[in-house]
Amino acid sequence: MAISKRYLTIILTAIALTFAAQSRAQICDSIASLCAKHLSTTYVSDGQVYRTLLVNDQTAEFRTTFYGGTTYRICACSGMTDGNLIFTIRDQDGNVLFSSKDYKNAPYWDFKITSTLDCTIEATLNQETAQSGCAVLLIGFKQ
Amino acid sequence: MIFKRTALLFTAVVAAASLMVSCGPDENGNNGDDTTKIDSNANINVKVRGKIFSIPSPIQTAVLIKKTGVPFDKTILNPSDNSTNYSTKYQMALNLGVYGCDLGYLTMYEQNGDAMQYFIATQKLAEMLDVSDAFDKSLISRFQANIGKKDSMLALVSSAYRASDQFLQNNDRNDISALIIAGGWIEALHFACQTAKGNQDIINRIAEQKTTLTSLVGLMETYAGQEEYAELISQLKSLQADYEGIEYKYVYEKPETDEGKKTTTITSRTEVKITPEQLKAITDKIANLRQLVVG
Repeated sequence: MAISKRYLTIILTAIALTFAAQSRAQICDSIASLCAKHLSTTYVSDGQVYRTLLVNDQTAEFRTTFYGGTTYRICACSGMTDGNLIFTIRDQDGNVLFSSKDYKNAPYWDFKITSTLDCTIEATLNQETAQSGCAVLLIGFKQ
Repeated sequence: MIFKRTALLFTAVVAAASLMVSCGPDENGNNGDDTTKIDSNANINVKVRGKIFSIPSPIQTAVLIKKTGVPFDKTILNPSDNSTNYSTKYQMALNLGVYGCDLGYLTMYEQNGDAMQYFIATQKLAEMLDVSDAFDKSLISRFQANIGKKDSMLALVSSAYRASDQFLQNNDRNDISALIIAGGWIEALHFACQTAKGNQDIINRIAEQKTTLTSLVGLMETYAGQEEYAELISQLKSLQADYEGIEYKYVYEKPETDEGKKTTTITSRTEVKITPEQLKAITDKIANLRQLVVG
């Protein structure tokens, strides 16, 4: 009987953890769907959803290559309202190319890239509105 | 008595799980309690050494090829009939990426009949990989309804790939997601190598893949313990060695921002120098790698 109780505990814990993970994934999905609206129909998605959980002043780093001759739209979201996620773009030498905090924490911004370059996009929560949450980043492009 | 204790245990476990969720983002996806601890390392995305890497869309290379005036060449595609040859999840995932890139190329060149065939092949592969929610029947109808509208077709394909990426992440199937990305990247580089023929814009695009390739190798190495990945990783690393000799020079320029248009123009530039020998070595290796993928 003791063994079956142990199995039952494991099964119940697994169910509970699955439930928790699914709920978290659903929240991220809702944020991603909302964020996708910022891509509009003008921009073609790169086919990926970049997301991670952030707490307090943690920073997520997303590394990418932007191709020359392309205009990109970067959308950064957390929560169901705009302005909760601040994003900063740095070049390979660490120079800041853009930061949304300089533009009222804009949830999206367009970038005309004249020559191909490797960049890092840093995302951090707006501490005034959020202390933790799912951070979602979407990248779209047009020629 | 046992049932009573079990019920208590169940209540406690569910309460703990609920607490985990409530300690996570609320309905706004945020949480106002700064003492709350969340597993911030939860592997929702595919990460390599703590960083999240973005592999540029393979469709962008198809767009560049069309833009540079290279004529359409169906022989560079993986025939849609091949979709029935793939029997393992590994092969299916890689070729779902390949067909996504092929679809982008066909759409750019307005080969609408072929695009429809490839879309159906893609949908079948997605179904076999259990990601058919992202490529459901209604999507086929919408794709059909938008035939001839290039931008809408590209948007539909890309959205479907984004939905499948999201679905796979939610279901802890990051390996499949990574293979789809790898397949698309390999096909795009294969297109570029096959169409370069002295075209400097395309040659530059080939040379510009060094960082992406490094990310891809890191991504694939996450699954190095799985036997079927061994040859793929080995060939990617061999290709990586050829990129080592390419010269890159980066020059920073101050960006210009138009706040009204929410647009920043980035004029920093990277100059690349690739020799004909390096280009040939990459072309030969990507041909072998692509053969390994499409069979």
